[in-house]
Amino acid sequence: MPQSLLIISRQAPWAGPSAREALDIALAGGAFDLPLAMLFLDDGVFQLLPEQQPTAVQQKDLTANLQALPMFGVEALYVAERSLQERGLQTHPMNLPVQMLDDSALTALIDRYDQVITL
Amino acid sequence: MKFAIALFAPPHAPSSRRALRFAQAALAGGHEIVRLFFYQDGVHSAASNPVCPQDELDLSGEWREFVRDQGLDAVVCIAAALRRGVLDAQEAERYQRSAVNLQAPWELSGLGQLHEATQLADRLICFGGP
Amino acid sequence: MATLHVLSHSPFTDSRLSSCLRLLGPDDGLLLCGDATYALQPGSAQCLALELMPATISLFALDEDLAARALKTPTRVQVVDYPGFVELSCRFAKVNSWL
Repeated sequence: MPQSLLIISRQAPWAGPSAREALDIALAGGAFDLPLAMLFLDDGVFQLLPEQQPTAVQQKDLTANLQALPMFGVEALYVAERSLQERGLQTHPMNLPVQMLDDSALTALIDRYDQVITL
Repeated sequence: MKFAIALFAPPHAPSSRRALRFAQAALAGGHEIVRLFFYQDGVHSAASNPVCPQDELDLSGEWREFVRDQGLDAVVCIAAALRRGVLDAQEAERYQRSAVNLQAPWELSGLGQLHEATQLADRLICFGGP
Repeated sequence: MATLHVLSHSPFTDSRLSSCLRLLGPDDGLLLCGDATYALQPGSAQCLALELMPATISLFALDEDLAARALKTPTRVQVVDYPGFVELSCRFAKVNSWL
């Protein structure tokens, strides 16, 4: 049985390469067909907002990479409900089909995976 | 117990030293380190150019000695390293850069090596931040 | 299977501790190292929050970071050295470092 990996992405998208590099871990793992999931937590939820214009700060679009996740076999995608609430985003449209989890569901999620990387 | 250890911080960050002390303690305790994987700013912890004042801790030097003396599998993520100017001889030549700052025992490779290490290990331990 | 959460950022300038506290399972552990040990500063809201965690959650701190910062150890904190840190990462099913 391959070990499952949960990647928790906490970084806002345009604060440096951190968000992209967290995503790269997921994409690389998906390419090897490994069981993995991604959770967007804290400022990481800002990665999910549509209609961002990264070209305004001369950055590459992260959305295309995010939307590649299901194509790479990473279909377990979650977002923290409380992080959305705190940022006034609870009913905001998202650029990715993510499942919203409350605090106790997040605890259970972390519990379910063999390994965790929080970036 | 088999450990995979991932480092995300440069040598001046306390977490780089913490990762090294953890790795040393793991080996001293009879455990195995299947791989060290340096990612994000952790690639700087593998670079050979830092020059430390004599009365300060030379963490880059300590990492290098530790990896060499223990014969560890030590991988630096190639994409993260190129982006941050950490190059071995081959990459410096490929991209026509004048400085080489990554030498053996470190090896440049891809993120697949992190996933492979995670699969081989009983525990993945990450160090980063302050 | 319980998780050992590891924090190293100061809780006075960073939200990792408060995010982490909301996600802790009943048998999880919390290891403070680096500036995260400032959470043990007596009289702070962060220290109180740690004291109020359910008793089943183990609280650990790295000895060298307490010493470096002249921090006293509240009674519920178990002080560990590096061999202790290694032992904890074997005892818990996984380690989640909040990088």
